[in-house]
Amino acid sequence: MDELTIAMPKGRIFEEAYELLVGAGYDLPKELDDSRKLIVEAPNEKFRFILAKPMDVPTYVEHGVADIGIAGKDVLLEHDRDVHELLDLGISACYIATAGLPDTEMDEVTPRIATKYPAVASHYYRSKGEQVEIIELNGSIELAPLIGLSDRIVDIVSTGRTLKDNGLVEYEKIADITSRLIANPVSYRLKQQRITELVDKLREQVGR
Amino acid sequence: MTIEMFEKPLGMRDDFPLIAKQKAQLRKQGTELIEQAGYELLQTPTLEYYETIGKISAISDDALFKLLDSQGKTLVLRPDMTSPIARVAASKLLREKMPIRLGYYSNVFRAQKREGGRPAEFEQMGVELIGDDSLYADAEVISLAWDILKELGVGSARIVIGHTRLLELILADFGLDAEQSGKVRELFVAKNGVGVEQLAKELPIAEDKLASFLKLMQATTVADWKLWINEENEEQRELYRDMERLEQLLERNGLGDAITFDISFSSHMTYYTGLVFEFYGAGSGFPLGSGGRYDGLMEQFGLQVGATGFGLRVDRLLESVTPEKTEQPHTLILFDEQNEQYAFDKAQQLRNSGKRVTLQYAPAVKALEPFTALFTEVIRGEELHNG
Repeated sequence: MDELTIAMPKGRIFEEAYELLVGAGYDLPKELDDSRKLIVEAPNEKFRFILAKPMDVPTYVEHGVADIGIAGKDVLLEHDRDVHELLDLGISACYIATAGLPDTEMDEVTPRIATKYPAVASHYYRSKGEQVEIIELNGSIELAPLIGLSDRIVDIVSTGRTLKDNGLVEYEKIADITSRLIANPVSYRLKQQRITELVDKLREQVGR
Repeated sequence: MTIEMFEKPLGMRDDFPLIAKQKAQLRKQGTELIEQAGYELLQTPTLEYYETIGKISAISDDALFKLLDSQGKTLVLRPDMTSPIARVAASKLLREKMPIRLGYYSNVFRAQKREGGRPAEFEQMGVELIGDDSLYADAEVISLAWDILKELGVGSARIVIGHTRLLELILADFGLDAEQSGKVRELFVAKNGVGVEQLAKELPIAEDKLASFLKLMQATTVADWKLWINEENEEQRELYRDMERLEQLLERNGLGDAITFDISFSSHMTYYTGLVFEFYGAGSGFPLGSGGRYDGLMEQFGLQVGATGFGLRVDRLLESVTPEKTEQPHTLILFDEQNEQYAFDKAQQLRNSGKRVTLQYAPAVKALEPFTALFTEVIRGEELHNG
């Protein structure tokens, strides 16, 4: 049986994915995520997990240092990596939307958009026929409109709570986001049987 | 940002001696097989017109290196070898001698926009068989590529084969118009299974056919394809027969276990009109090469002939091939003023007998020990003088 290297984001997505894998009948050690280790093994199933930053998962998979991985659709949209998108795992559901201060219009001359997703934001406004200036931030995006840095933000919304607490409102929804099972194109061909089996088992779990 | 003295443009690499040597070896093994199979090697210019090769090559515009010639015409560094060879083959000189078999080992250039880890200049080796639209031509080039992979020692090599035209016909049978079918194919090229599932809900596919549509990405053998073949459609029936024949031919050539027949496999290279294929191997996370039938490309050069071929990426082959670690004997002769003549004679003598010899004036070497450690044998001038 080929060993499979699986790149996973740490934290909540890992836990949900772990549940899915166990539910699918895979024999994984208990408490994989509780150490500071970056590589953990599940010898009974010949899995090797690489614990990575969510944004980096598609990078590992594209370069083939991980055979498969679990990545948010937001990251896939942002980075446009050459990976197979095999299955919608349906976990960590949220969406990307534009938001800003209530009852405001975008600046007509230089509308400015603050975001962690410059490619997604740029693509969205271009498809609407609007030229905007993108300002890339790494976190606390909600600050930008409050302190006059931007007219709108493009960010992940899961409950809408953070927006509300900061007095912002949602304007347009851009895309629904869930976590996806992705595969390196070469691994997919060389270990096709094993990966397809995994997809089928997980699909059953997701369907429930 | 100022450029530091040691920097190179994004994606450009130095080949240090070890890599250069491996490449030379790989080139020798590969081109030998290509020539043995009756292909003639050729070289085309590094610079081509943007208007011709640049536009025809099917490499996206922002991946082209462009520059201007002295008349202000836009030139490109050649981004692939297939289109220049098609141009050569379509030229008057070769037209009469169809079918022709041409092979190459050349560097090509594709600009990188993102981070490192990908070369912007790399070597490709491959062949083009022009003027033969039979199945035997397809089987020939696939088998030749396979022989090269085997000869180089690529582990767990695999070939994935699809068929652009047959896929087009099958999608049409699902009731998709050209635009919808284009969308599906785009998702197939990106291998976006989730996207296909989502799109399927919006497409006018009959409910009883939906399950079979979703299976399109799962086929692995020609027999699997049968599910989608409409026996009443003559073209589909014939193409399917062709695929069965091709499978037999390749099996006979010993490739049977290594092939996946995936009807959803498509290429972003828009000039592939029929058969398309891609090669993979352990060790590289990226495909080792690809190819297919590109009759449509020949048409752009005004020639109504069939053409098929493949290209293998040398940079990825290097990742996939474990180089032989046999140490080549290499003799060092250290001399100084006293024994210069002896050293020179000895070097000539050894070189004539086929040995590799470095002749070095000893006082010019600052650190003698690490330098001599690079050689398998060291002869000192005074030894020659005395003996």
